[in-house]
Amino acid sequence: MKQKVINSIIKITLVIIGLTFLFPLYWMVNLSFKSKSEVYDNPFGLPKEWVFSNYGDALEKFNFLRYLSNSVIYSIGTIIITILLGSMFAYCVSRMNWRFKNTALTYVSLGLIIPVQVVIIPLLIMVKNMGLKDTHLGLILPYSAFALSSCILMLYAFFRTLPKELEEAACIDGCNIYQTFFKVILPTIKPAIATQFALIFMNTYNEFFLAFILAANDNIRPLPVGLLNFFVSIGVSHWGQIGAAMVITSIPTVLVYLFGNEQIENALTAGAILK
Amino acid sequence: MNKNYNSKLAIFIFAFPTLLLFTAFVVYPIIPELIISFQNNDGFKNMGYVGFDNYRSVLTSATFWKSNANTLIIVAISTFVGLPISLLLALLMDRQVEGIRRFFKLSSVFPAVLSVTVIGQMWIAIYEPQWGVINSLLRSIGLDNLALEWLSDKRTVVVAIAIAFLWQYIGLNALLFYTGIKSIPKTYYEAATIDGASFLKTSIKITIPLLQDVTKYLLVLSVLGCMSQFAHVRIMTAGGPGDASRTVIYQLYYTAFSASDYGQGCAIAILFVIECLILTLIINKFVAREKIEF
Repeated sequence: MKQKVINSIIKITLVIIGLTFLFPLYWMVNLSFKSKSEVYDNPFGLPKEWVFSNYGDALEKFNFLRYLSNSVIYSIGTIIITILLGSMFAYCVSRMNWRFKNTALTYVSLGLIIPVQVVIIPLLIMVKNMGLKDTHLGLILPYSAFALSSCILMLYAFFRTLPKELEEAACIDGCNIYQTFFKVILPTIKPAIATQFALIFMNTYNEFFLAFILAANDNIRPLPVGLLNFFVSIGVSHWGQIGAAMVITSIPTVLVYLFGNEQIENALTAGAILK
Repeated sequence: MNKNYNSKLAIFIFAFPTLLLFTAFVVYPIIPELIISFQNNDGFKNMGYVGFDNYRSVLTSATFWKSNANTLIIVAISTFVGLPISLLLALLMDRQVEGIRRFFKLSSVFPAVLSVTVIGQMWIAIYEPQWGVINSLLRSIGLDNLALEWLSDKRTVVVAIAIAFLWQYIGLNALLFYTGIKSIPKTYYEAATIDGASFLKTSIKITIPLLQDVTKYLLVLSVLGCMSQFAHVRIMTAGGPGDASRTVIYQLYYTAFSASDYGQGCAIAILFVIECLILTLIINKFVAREKIEF
């Protein structure tokens, strides 16, 4: 009996805590339908009077499509470069015979302990000197470079569990190493690539620090930084519009998460299993 | 087949692009960083080498030490409050029926996948002095004098930011702990079940010790993540009031890009690397001394 009561209490507590994690969703949707003055009188309850014009007004001042397309360009660019280069490198280290392969792997894993914040000043100077300032590539290249380490280590672990028979068969069929890699190996490691895809997407799409400093020009800003600028420009005078802008910004993330939550959970927890 | 795998050209084509990109953007920048840290540099040109002057100015600046203290407060709260809560949630989750577990897994990651700008703005509203959740609650139970201006009060601002940061990742960390619990073989629990050991006893004697690796991984991740905290501070307070809530990285950003002193900015970065190394070494020394194989 006592056990049952305790168990119910634990159950209810977990559900309540779970609900608090969903609170931001409720809060911003709710906020987005409130009039300018109602926010102050009734900040967290349901709107008494539903105002739909916040969305139109926010979209007028907040260049959502531009920021969204920038965010997508950064995410997709980083995903392509990181997965292509990372898988080739991981394959090369796990399968090919060369003297310094272990050293190379250790070298690349250094990236796990160098926070990007540390090198921001030289990075900014380099991007300027390379003529990449105010271009998308100026963010995609550093993003990819910093995403490589964990991508390589995970794919390397994956390659080591992969039997060599596949490649031997391909070799007998007359494939050279490039054909083997692109036509036989890459399709076989699809699950690992999907996990990396989800992980890099989440990290890049939400990245704030590098974007805040390197993307100084409004034309190349991604969503998180664009949104902050919108808040600053609008002040705290109109929370309804702030709410609307937040909802619009979050829709892509929420959709991606709802459809790919298993993939994302795998990706986020992959690091913990990878010892 | 081996001919393919020994080809120098193939090895070069597969490995070189990664090594080039990684070296150029991750490792190489440390060299100019070291050099600039000894210069009087405003971001446009070097106005002469100044020896250790930049380091001296940084190490004697009260704001730098304040920013270190703030950062360590955030690290401590996330590590000593956040991680135990996450572990507890994971242990409780493990004992629940599938439905609740699925709901909890799905919702717990939401704060971490939403944009930090949204989360920061939400906490600004929660801490709002007039109509924010916290002050409304405090007033409704008659504790009016405790209803502070959380984000503009020097005494509370750092803790307030730390709580927002902790809350954003507590669910994700719980999920990571839970993944670790799932990977413990069931056989470890069989004897305990036969002996009728309680949940508490099983957790302390079996689960938690076997979670060493995950714990260590999360510790490093959480400590380094908190050390390089910038976004929440920038969004919630911009380092204010005054310089009361600056973290080390915020101080670095401010010194280099607002005060245009790249030399001192780079000196801060180098000192920051040293601090991170020391913390990582401490964690490595005290946690997971023995390797566990299942």
